[in-house]
Amino acid sequence: MTDATYDLLIVGGGPAGLAAAAEAVSAGLAVCLVDERPTFGGQIFKQPGPGFRVTDPAAVGREYVRGRELIDAAERAGALLLPRTSALAIRGTTVVLVEDGANARTVEARQVLIAPGAHDRPVVFPGWTLPGVLTAGGAQTLVKTQRVLPGERIVFAGSGPLALAFPAQLRGYGANVELVLEAGPAPGVRDVLRLLAAARGNTSLLRDAVGYRARLLRDRVPLRYRRIVVRAEGEGRVEEVVHASVDTAWRPIPGTEERVAADTLCVGYGFFPSVELLRLAGCDFVYDEDLGGPVVVRDEWLRTTVPNVSAAGDGTGVAGSYVAIDEGRLAALGAALDLEALTADAAVARAAPLRRRLARKEAFRRALRRMYAVGPGIYELATPETVVCRCEEITAGTLDAASEGTDDVNVVKSLTRAGMGLCQGRNCQRQIAATLALRHGGSLGSLPVATARPPVRPVPIGAVADASLEDGGFFTVES
Amino acid sequence: MRAEPAPAWPFARELRAPLPESTDVLIIGGGLAGTALAYYLARAGVECVLVERAELNREASGTNAGSFHFQIALHQLTALETGNVRERLQTEVRLHAEAAEVWKTLERELAGSLEIHITGGLMVAETPDEFRLLHEKRELEEEAGLETHVLEGEELRAFAPYLADDLLGATWCPDEGHANPMLAAPLFAARAAEAGAELRTHAEVTRVEVDPDGGARRFAVTTAAVRVHAHRVVNATGAWANEVCGLVGLRLPIRAEGLHLNVTEPRERVLEPMVQHIGRRLTLKQATNGTFIIGGGWPANPEPAPARFSTTWESTAGNVAVAVRVLPLLADVKIVRTWSGVMAFTADLAPLVGESARLPGFHTLIATTGFTLSPLLAQLLAEELATGRGTIPPQYSIDRDPAGQPTTT
Ligand SMILES: Cc1cc2nc3c(=O)[nH]c(=O)nc-3n(C[C@H](O)[C@H](O)[C@H](O)COP(=O)(O)OP(=O)(O)OC[C@H]3O[C@@H](n4cnc5c(N)ncnc54)[C@H](O)[C@@H]3O)c2cc1C
Ligand SMILES: Cc1cc2nc3c(=O)[nH]c(=O)nc-3n(C[C@H](O)[C@H](O)[C@H](O)COP(=O)(O)OP(=O)(O)OC[C@H]3O[C@@H](n4cnc5c(N)ncnc54)[C@H](O)[C@@H]3O)c2cc1C
Repeated sequence: MTDATYDLLIVGGGPAGLAAAAEAVSAGLAVCLVDERPTFGGQIFKQPGPGFRVTDPAAVGREYVRGRELIDAAERAGALLLPRTSALAIRGTTVVLVEDGANARTVEARQVLIAPGAHDRPVVFPGWTLPGVLTAGGAQTLVKTQRVLPGERIVFAGSGPLALAFPAQLRGYGANVELVLEAGPAPGVRDVLRLLAAARGNTSLLRDAVGYRARLLRDRVPLRYRRIVVRAEGEGRVEEVVHASVDTAWRPIPGTEERVAADTLCVGYGFFPSVELLRLAGCDFVYDEDLGGPVVVRDEWLRTTVPNVSAAGDGTGVAGSYVAIDEGRLAALGAALDLEALTADAAVARAAPLRRRLARKEAFRRALRRMYAVGPGIYELATPETVVCRCEEITAGTLDAASEGTDDVNVVKSLTRAGMGLCQGRNCQRQIAATLALRHGGSLGSLPVATARPPVRPVPIGAVADASLEDGGFFTVES
Repeated sequence: MRAEPAPAWPFARELRAPLPESTDVLIIGGGLAGTALAYYLARAGVECVLVERAELNREASGTNAGSFHFQIALHQLTALETGNVRERLQTEVRLHAEAAEVWKTLERELAGSLEIHITGGLMVAETPDEFRLLHEKRELEEEAGLETHVLEGEELRAFAPYLADDLLGATWCPDEGHANPMLAAPLFAARAAEAGAELRTHAEVTRVEVDPDGGARRFAVTTAAVRVHAHRVVNATGAWANEVCGLVGLRLPIRAEGLHLNVTEPRERVLEPMVQHIGRRLTLKQATNGTFIIGGGWPANPEPAPARFSTTWESTAGNVAVAVRVLPLLADVKIVRTWSGVMAFTADLAPLVGESARLPGFHTLIATTGFTLSPLLAQLLAEELATGRGTIPPQYSIDRDPAGQPTTT
């Protein structure tokens, strides 16, 4: 049953989706935007949860304000914004949506833009499932939406352009950050020069990055480079974090282990794009570990290989909120062009400044990527007893035994149940693939992934059931 | 949930080893049918090689719902009556009763867990016509030697208080239950290898040559660019059986169909029996890990190979609607995934097992409810291959359908 039709349906109300909504409406499209969270703004511009009323925007931070601006712009433009609404399935441009507590419904759109963002790269090491170990994004969500600090003695371990952002933000909320471990090298003079060269016109990005480091230095938070967490220890909760120096492949160097007492360990080794919907839609992908793994193939208007489905933002390879905003706009212009709401000339003209900015950011991003390339050692920390699939409690040893005769993730999954739990492999699938790659040789990207299936989010049967759908009755028998 | 001991699959090391040059029985297909046959043959001392084009247990046998179908079910009927197919049903129920005995001892036989739950099965009725059918089929089942009972209204509510309270009744079959399809074929494969069978993956059969004068090695089967000479061949390729039959100019009365399944988050155990519906497509059970598995024959969409058939939202929403109608507590249980598998439906729904009279030495092993029946049918076929004498019902002859008669090569 189809009960609504839009020119453009946008999945994801982060910077990419919000910017796209405003742009598309201004080009004359009827737009509906859905986000499964109770508030819009996505990961970075996450707004305080219901129950918090912001009286002094400046006090809650620049990110709140920028997020509010994007949301207001989309609202003012007249886009239909639906919070607490998940996209569960997609086929062509038909999308199944469900609002929390309501029944699922199917909507038709002439164009669909998928802007689902990214999630933290899960890293498996002994102790990663202990209470008190959380992802950087999880910690950030806690602070931003609940105004709750995750612990009293916080160790942060991570890498990448945002690695310093998390602890700096936590400091900003008054958290006690004991130690920051960055797996990459300390930025050298040459890196800084390279960044500066690439950063022309990207001053806001550079200002952010420099600002985070300055904040940590000013607050005297110890900042140690080329070190990663190798395990977390404690009785029923993190009590100590063990860390070590690593070589350029991120493999721990023997004899360099140290311990630090902590009740909280935040882990942020980069992000994975959330690709479930794009995979379900049937889009083509290429593989780029530095962009977070599978990266959807797009053309110059950010159209995927599936007709009338485009993609923007971190869900297409992690690139940050500035890129996400411009990509969202560009995808909206592409949709307007395809729906003939804009002439080719008009679309090209409006896209020109976006393209210029995106090109500059791409240069900046490439420079950053060189600095923060993920080392394969990150996948080799688990010991045989380490639980890899936490939903089904499957250990690395079990996975290794099951990969004896096969290099197929799906076979290992079926032999062990790993990846079949509530999270459907979101957390463990890459680690399983890495186990296979390690044993059989070959790269992570060359391994087949588990088949994409609806629903992309767990959903109550009561919300899904549709008694109007007839089963075919009897099974036909040829006489 | 449990921490698993590492499963040991030492045989897996051999799966990619070079193929032997010749064998007595060459089995094509590494699903439950093929692996069970390899086990029973090897145990009887018959030399055999199994070749699988991809990985073991990745098609119907590893993706099915794991139900033991012993009662007469919707997929065996053509209308809300049994009269028109009485004789066929009798034969099948007799076979089911035998299959029930096999499953009861299978874990002991294979020395490993298959997560078998023989918890009984209920088949519910919503309408007066359906309810009448329950009585009809129970009689038939009794005659064929399968124990079932009809539970009416209040009785059913006392017996299974968790079911919807307006159901008219159900039949209860104490022998029914379910097992874990992800364990069955792999365990058969492991035990087959231990008993001396050779199993090979990534060995697709692309050519079968027959030399009528070839004596003890009359078949030359080409797989993965290697030729294996075999005395006898068994086609156990399920939904793809006609592709292999086509290689020798035979055609079977079967069609391939994609089916849809749903699984939920785990919940505390509430549902012991397996539940089916006599008039609507439903099978419902709670697996060992507490998840509910919901199926019953809803369709999945064909996709061009090698992609797996896609699951549709219509099948998801329609299938779970029947489930929650019967078991209302499912309303707030979350569905986490759907998947599909492709299986062979034989034209008259009965198995196709044994040797072709048209092409001596060429056998098939195919059943519609092949999870339930493959261990038993493999046993029967192994017995025939090992001793030359068998007890396979003549109704299952692979030459039985006129439309299925071979063309000549
Ligand atoms: C954990 C984390 C922390 C980050 N912290 C920082 C930071 O401190 N500073 C910084 O500069 N950048 C940060 N970034 C990067 C920045 O957040 C992103 O670059 C930016 O938010 C990307 O915007 P987006 O619109 O692509 O995705 P997002 O902002 O992630 O928005 C995607 C939205 O889509 C929704 N969604 C996804 N799937 C569905 C579905 N099926 N149905 C309905 N809704 C769906 C999500 O709820 C989400 O709100 C962080 C990223 C992550 C993942
Ligand atoms: C979704 C679903 C639910 C089901 N539920 C039930 C149930 O609850 N109870 C029940 O009893 N039955 C059920 N069935 C039916 C049952 O699963 C099948 O009848 C049974 O698994 C068939 O086993 P098989 O070994 O014959 O076929 P398969 O398991 O399909 O194995 C055939 C094998 O042959 C291989 N192959 C094909 N061509 C070649 C070639 N040329 N060379 C080499 N190898 C080849 C394939 O790769 C495959 O591995 C269900 C089926 C499906 C799809």
